[in-house]
Amino acid sequence: MRLAFWLYEGTALHGVSRVANSMRGVHTVYHAPQGDDYITATYTMLERTPEFPKLSISVVRGQDLARGTSRLPGTVRQVEEHYKPELIVVAPSCSTALLQEDLGQMARSSGVSEEKIMVYAVNPFRVSENEAAEGLFTELVKRYAAECPKTEKPSVNLLGFTSLGFHLKANLTSLRRMLKTLGVEVNVVAPWGAGIDDLKKLPAAWLNIAPYREIGLQASDYLKEKFGMPAVTDAPIGVQATMRWLKAIIDEVNRIAAERGAAPMSMPDLRDFSLDGQSAPSGVPWFARTADMESFSNKRAFVFGDATQVVGVTKFLKDELGMQIIGAGTYLPRQADWVRRQLEGYLPGELMVTDKFQEISKFIEDEMPELVCGTQMERHSCRKLDVPCMVISPPTHIENHLLGYYPFFGFDGADVMADRVYTSAKLGLEKHLIDFFGGAGLEYEDDASAASSNGTGMSHDAEAASPPEDGEPTFEPSPDGEMGWTADAEKMLGKVPFFVRKKVRKNTENFARGIGEPVISADVFRKAKEHLGG
Amino acid sequence: MMPVSSDCQILKEDNVTHSFCGLACVGWLYQKIQDSFFLILGTHTCAHFLQNALGMMIFAKPRFGIALIEEGDLSRAEPRLEEVIAEIKRDHNPSVIFLLSSCTPEVMKVDFKGLAHHLSSDQTPVLFVPASGLVFNFTQAEDSVLQALIPFCPEAPAGEKSVVFVGSVNDVTADDLRAEAEELGIPVGGFLPESRFDKLPAIGPDTVLAPIQPYLSRVCSRLNRERGSQVLTSLFPFGPDGTRAFWQDLASMFGITIDLADREQAAWEKIKKQTDLLKGKKIFLTADTMMELPLARFLKHAGAEVVECSSAYINKKFHARELEALDGIRVVEQPNFHRQLEEIKATRPDMIVTSLMTANPFVGNGFIVKWSMEFTLMSIHGWSGVFTLANMFVSPLLRRQSLPEFDDSVWLEGVMPAAK
Repeated sequence: MRLAFWLYEGTALHGVSRVANSMRGVHTVYHAPQGDDYITATYTMLERTPEFPKLSISVVRGQDLARGTSRLPGTVRQVEEHYKPELIVVAPSCSTALLQEDLGQMARSSGVSEEKIMVYAVNPFRVSENEAAEGLFTELVKRYAAECPKTEKPSVNLLGFTSLGFHLKANLTSLRRMLKTLGVEVNVVAPWGAGIDDLKKLPAAWLNIAPYREIGLQASDYLKEKFGMPAVTDAPIGVQATMRWLKAIIDEVNRIAAERGAAPMSMPDLRDFSLDGQSAPSGVPWFARTADMESFSNKRAFVFGDATQVVGVTKFLKDELGMQIIGAGTYLPRQADWVRRQLEGYLPGELMVTDKFQEISKFIEDEMPELVCGTQMERHSCRKLDVPCMVISPPTHIENHLLGYYPFFGFDGADVMADRVYTSAKLGLEKHLIDFFGGAGLEYEDDASAASSNGTGMSHDAEAASPPEDGEPTFEPSPDGEMGWTADAEKMLGKVPFFVRKKVRKNTENFARGIGEPVISADVFRKAKEHLGG
Repeated sequence: MMPVSSDCQILKEDNVTHSFCGLACVGWLYQKIQDSFFLILGTHTCAHFLQNALGMMIFAKPRFGIALIEEGDLSRAEPRLEEVIAEIKRDHNPSVIFLLSSCTPEVMKVDFKGLAHHLSSDQTPVLFVPASGLVFNFTQAEDSVLQALIPFCPEAPAGEKSVVFVGSVNDVTADDLRAEAEELGIPVGGFLPESRFDKLPAIGPDTVLAPIQPYLSRVCSRLNRERGSQVLTSLFPFGPDGTRAFWQDLASMFGITIDLADREQAAWEKIKKQTDLLKGKKIFLTADTMMELPLARFLKHAGAEVVECSSAYINKKFHARELEALDGIRVVEQPNFHRQLEEIKATRPDMIVTSLMTANPFVGNGFIVKWSMEFTLMSIHGWSGVFTLANMFVSPLLRRQSLPEFDDSVWLEGVMPAAK
């Protein structure tokens, strides 16, 4: 048994509800103890849903277990009566899964038509969020997708777009914009916004676009196998990947057009992809060549997250911004082989595969990268270490559910990523000036407003009520720092540019430990500086 | 003490949904009891709940954690927590470890009492706290935590008459309550809980227990049973009405007769602007934090029309005075959310006090809402809390007035495609 504080991936029930909450006419019934519908709050608060998420709980109470009664039939009846869904998905939570009840039999005894009920009972101790979401979505596609005539014009399905997905709506907008420019219609987006009727007509599209490794790929494989639908399964993350993605779509469309005797399409003028229709579709290629970006060429970056984003962002940083990748990792062990293959030649060492944030935090502390691209958790870890961090992967935070248009996919997404790298990492000429003149009056207290949290509810008040626990607001000795510093050594440290001060403090302490010095004096500090190369 | 009326009309329905389980109390209790560690024996679900719904911060060394039951642990008869406990002691050196139950180990029939006893040492007691969603709602597990603390409260000798306030509040509120009591001539024995485990109050036969949170009935009746302490039956100290009744009734238990009518009047005067706005407003409280009864009573006395006051659990004895004050108002225990939804659509209340899960959807349906959870995290106790309490109800109304008109056929478009 291990002690856990924070986990990257959500539960199976969360995966199930992400799919159901994305869809029209589908209602999920959790067979679970009271409180297990806390998941609802993630939709109503992070996505700010203006309608009740289609999730109900059939509450299992201790006394019900003792008496052998079940509220499931009654709850299913109430859901039918109040919401009249086309499909009711019944799912157990971790505790009720252990009861080994026949949920199907119980749900059917509600009297609600049998074909309206689907029991989706995965083992919540073995299956997590992404696998459950992928599994349910595939089941739904298998259940409903039906042979139908292809659309007249070239069209695609966008598969895997799911409630609480990373920058979901902006990514979708970015893809829609590019497809429109190409002259390719969107047949169905699923599960986000799709109804049962939409699932039925999935095979009408010419091809499937399934950019996420985590969800949508299995359904796309099924549609290929069953209906012969081709698929483009790369994620258009970065300019180069987007160009390849567009070309892949054009190739597939043209192949089908040829079979159907229709006219082929060609790549539009690239300017047509830009927001104003008359500019370069992305600023990244020029940006990366400008002189002030030269300082990025040896910046050391570390990337951690799910599979899709980690692969896309790592390649983007190295191939398009010319940064140095010092490591990457994923918390999805099922995807580790794929990530490894994709990133062959990109990593100096092994891919890190772990769901323990402490291990990642330790790596960051040891390596002190100049940029971390991670999840909400890395944002916390980095804040503590004063290491620049941008969030590139779920699990996310309210800050990744903003109103503005911040895609990660497509040309627009490349610009957003480059901007975030630029504003997160310490800058070029400015950095030289600060290095040369020290603090240069730029020193500031840690911005308390940056101390936002990773969730929804209690954070605001809880934080207002008590100072954050990692909370040294300035640059006091590191929390683990048993090492003492003399006043004159502290003074010397004070002359080091503020944004590398923590790193210098840590390196100096490591150096002192190495040479057996218990206290950092001015002399030790000077030695360390010499030893560590300035 | 007022006679307890047991014939209040309470409708009882089938369940509470859209609220949190007992583990939610970790959110404030780990901050309140500063030398504690809260260890939940639970699953991925428990961890996901704490980090997402509660938005709990994980810093370098959080003083709560989950001993994670994974698939391999299901087959073991008894969970082995020795290493986890050793890790906690090493990293945190807490004075006390609370071992919270959750649904899965409850279903597995883990012997928590035996487990806690086995892990406990004189230096670091490990205390079992029943908290699972199979039994406990939201704030209710604070009751379990306080019960676990009882054996560590010294016995106050007979004849030592003082008040112990029951319920966790922040230090500022605690200081206010203490000062107010002393001013009235009421000796203060302390608070359960205090902010440190090693400072628990002495409780004995002449202790008067004054519950300051409405979800702590069991610890009070247990102390009454085990230590012979008396339990104050009054209104809870929220709002001018509740605060006056609370202090008057408490004082009378110490043989002190006071009339705080002027003080109450002055407090109502102070919030006249707010109550003017609340007058005649139809307000609906869905069940969430179990603070609903006193909140509804304050609203009623402030002139609002309470359409329905629902709560997860109502204890007719513990809540007797609040229930009396709510006479004529529909009070529902274990409400059915679908029924409430119909009711709300029919009665069109001016404001709905509701959970984090349901607030925004009610707004999307054209209503004004207030998060019920905020009341558990704000200083709304006593005279000093009156202004904050009144403003919490008024601010959503004022805010809505100040926003421009809203055409939902335009401004809700695409926000939730699944809802079309």
